[in-house]
Amino acid sequence: MEKKHSSHGGKHEPCGCPGAQTMDLREETAADAGPAGKAPSMLRQWPVQLHLVSPMAPYFQKADLVVAADCTAFAYGNFHAEFLKGRAAVIACPKLDDGQESYVEKLQSLIEDAKVNTLTVLTMEVPCCGGLLAMVQQAARNAKRKVPIKSIVVGIGGTIKSEEWA
Amino acid sequence: MNKDLEQNIKAIISSFPAVGDILNEYKIGCTSCAAGTCRLKDIVEIHNLPAEEEEKLMGRIALAISPDGGLKVPKSGRKPAAAPGTLKYSPPLRRLVEEHLLIKRLLALLPRLAADLGSEEGAGLALSGLDFIRNYADKYHHAKEEEILFKYFDPDLEVIKTMLKDHAAGRGHVKGAAEALAAKDAAAAAAHLLAYRDLLSEHIKKEDEILYPWMDRNLSLNQVGELFGKFAEADSKFDPAAIARQEAFAADLEEKLADEAAAQA
Ligand SMILES: [Fe+2]
Ligand SMILES: [Fe+2]
Repeated sequence: MEKKHSSHGGKHEPCGCPGAQTMDLREETAADAGPAGKAPSMLRQWPVQLHLVSPMAPYFQKADLVVAADCTAFAYGNFHAEFLKGRAAVIACPKLDDGQESYVEKLQSLIEDAKVNTLTVLTMEVPCCGGLLAMVQQAARNAKRKVPIKSIVVGIGGTIKSEEWA
Repeated sequence: MNKDLEQNIKAIISSFPAVGDILNEYKIGCTSCAAGTCRLKDIVEIHNLPAEEEEKLMGRIALAISPDGGLKVPKSGRKPAAAPGTLKYSPPLRRLVEEHLLIKRLLALLPRLAADLGSEEGAGLALSGLDFIRNYADKYHHAKEEEILFKYFDPDLEVIKTMLKDHAAGRGHVKGAAEALAAKDAAAAAAHLLAYRDLLSEHIKKEDEILYPWMDRNLSLNQVGELFGKFAEADSKFDPAAIARQEAFAADLEEKLADEAAAQA
């Protein structure tokens, strides 16, 4: 199936880099159940890195949005099936990424403009990862629209350490 | 056992009274429930006991129904209960629980209001109390439950029917109290106010402790977000100043009645 490309001009949309070009993969993930024994990808969009995404992309509209710390997808084995399926996603590292002020603005835009339905923040149990939840909460406070936020903490051993409404 | 699981609890308890005693031990108050039409299966599901407790409870019920041990207890297929305190109410249900707090404050004042309906001032205060119930408890709060929240669940579920019956019975007491006050029948008005207090206190307890947690376990993440948006939309139709006035009214009435009680002491 041909991927749907679009060139939504979000504020931080870089030039013509293919790595940052918006792609809507929703139809593909819906159709592709994958061969038995292999876990199919549940990613419904490209890009996913928070600096690269445009909040105006159609797959963010009214979506249940997962805001995942980079490491969570590696630590949690069932990440695709449990957290990506049927949802939109952005990833970021609150410890190492530059330009985190623009993360807060972009998250605010996802709440206000994309009108996301819910936010699920996935962080690792290490203390420095909590910054991602703080960033989301800051964006939520700045936003005029309110939205439910759930915080899920993944352990280094690959288990869910906690799951609660923030 | 499967056949019994499908039966309503009143029928089971009347055939096997020991079942009522066992449920009481687990603080499942079916013996005192006015309706008693829930199925044993749903009751056990809704109360969400830890798996071990549930197995023990069902084992004892099986023995009470069939002392020869001929009944098999099916294993519960649902997800284990979240450890206490790990998953609190979802944001939309938390909002309703917060509204319950204000309603409960008003309910706590009803006995004192009911004790002084003879005087003009007392009757006037009671009328304002009824106004609060009509506007805040009913139009603002119960409407969100009836028109939004309950619509996410099967309307044929006994627990939903029971909740709706409670709301209707509450409206009956409010109407009865208002009519009695108009007819200057203080005793009848007091009876309605007290009956409303008992009914709604029990109703809110059921919602806070059993119904809402069960709903939260059954709502998807997507539905939680949708509910939150629909509640916000419903609330936006109310004048925030009017809601603030209702909140202030409850606080003022508390203070006033506390002052009066202190003056009498
Ligand atoms: Fe209710
Ligand atoms: Fe309620």
